Amino acid sequence: MTFKNLYIEHERSSEAEDWVKEEIAEQEARFAEIEASMEALAPTREKWYQEFFDRIKTNGFNLDGDDKMPIPDADLPIKTADRKDQVVWKYGVDSDDTPRNGQEA
Amino acid sequence: MARPHIEPFCDRDTHFKPMRLLGFGTGMHYKMLSMDVDTGACSMTVQFDGGYKRSPGFSWSEYELIVIEGELKVGDRVCRKGHYFYVPAGYAMPEISSDQGCLLLYMYNTGEPSHEEATTHHASTQTQLYHDVDSYMDLSWAMGNVAKPSVATGCMIKLLNYNPNSFAMTFLYCMTPNFYQDNISYHDCAEESYHLWGTSWMMQFGDVPTGGYFWRPAYINHGAFASEYGCIALGRVDSKLFNHFHYNPWSTPVENADRSEARLLARDPLLYHWAFSQDHNHPHSPKDFELTMPRRANEEGHDTEHKSDGHRHDHWHGHHHHDEESPHTHDHSHDHSHDHDHQH
Ligand SMILES: [Fe+2]
Repeated sequence: MTFKNLYIEHERSSEAEDWVKEEIAEQEARFAEIEASMEALAPTREKWYQEFFDRIKTNGFNLDGDDKMPIPDADLPIKTADRKDQVVWKYGVDSDDTPRNGQEA
Repeated sequence: MARPHIEPFCDRDTHFKPMRLLGFGTGMHYKMLSMDVDTGACSMTVQFDGGYKRSPGFSWSEYELIVIEGELKVGDRVCRKGHYFYVPAGYAMPEISSDQGCLLLYMYNTGEPSHEEATTHHASTQTQLYHDVDSYMDLSWAMGNVAKPSVATGCMIKLLNYNPNSFAMTFLYCMTPNFYQDNISYHDCAEESYHLWGTSWMMQFGDVPTGGYFWRPAYINHGAFASEYGCIALGRVDSKLFNHFHYNPWSTPVENADRSEARLLARDPLLYHWAFSQDHNHPHSPKDFELTMPRRANEEGHDTEHKSDGHRHDHWHGHHHHDEESPHTHDHSHDHSHDHDHQH
């Protein structure tokens, strides 16, 4: 991530260096908690996915704004055996655990 | 590695910590929301105790700030809830204080929080970029269709900041009660949100309540979306926002990025081939000639004879000026007409 905006070079104090390190360590712990809680949510999420499929088959899928199009049942995706339901990706496409081309890492 | 995916998170689940970095004084407390592990750039919920004061000064990093609750005094000006500030790096702010205390959202964009006492701006500050606004009172809600395809109509925005180079945006957004949008979205940019009030729901992460937050790297699925009673939030994207909608909840970030690339080829084929052609491979980044072209101000031995003084007017294609009586007989190789008022 970068906002590509100005940063004025300066020497970071050792106190600021320590503070940043501490915060990053806490963030690591927080990330692990989030990842675990989102894995625990998988059964509920599976129900939400099926309800979503039901709605886009009947009420329609939002194409653009309020323009909606019903999706035929035959077009709905299937979750293949090698897929897991993962919603948290530590660094997006740069994550160590990001499967390439849809395969498990 | 930038900032990790923090979603979902609610700041109500953690305690405030006293800010101990030098320059911030006592009476400032914070909850860290997310931090860039390379630069220390971060977003924080901040509380100023009643009577808090900070001396005039600047930050080495650019930052943004919005008042969530209470009143913040900036110099002599009292700024109420909804007041937003965009503060360039090196921009010296007057003394800030809070008589009764206040709650704020602070976003340091390019480095860790810092405060250097100063009453004048740093020499390299882009001072013209500074702006602030009472976003609740002085801006109107606009349709959320800043991007096409767009969000459903019950989602509206107030644009707070826009970067014309990267198209990065900061905005308030709201969802009306009973809002819903049945698609899955991802973007080619990171997205951040802080819920100022109210709850919304996403199919991957569940409810985001008041104080709820996410920092989401690019290409990660989110949605369908809903809000039963409505919500108001501050949102940001770090470059151009494009809504890639689909309905496969199991696609990965790599598949999503590949799809973006395929769509780029379909939409801008010439640019795509130029950017990715083998014999034209930029090892670093492409050049923008506007940043590198020779300009007159840097020219030695200024050649005035062949430059317009703004009055003389010698067209290279041999434009013969004719008087009112004569027919228009000169033969241009192209047929545009010159209707401008000649004053020779
Ligand atoms: Fe989004």
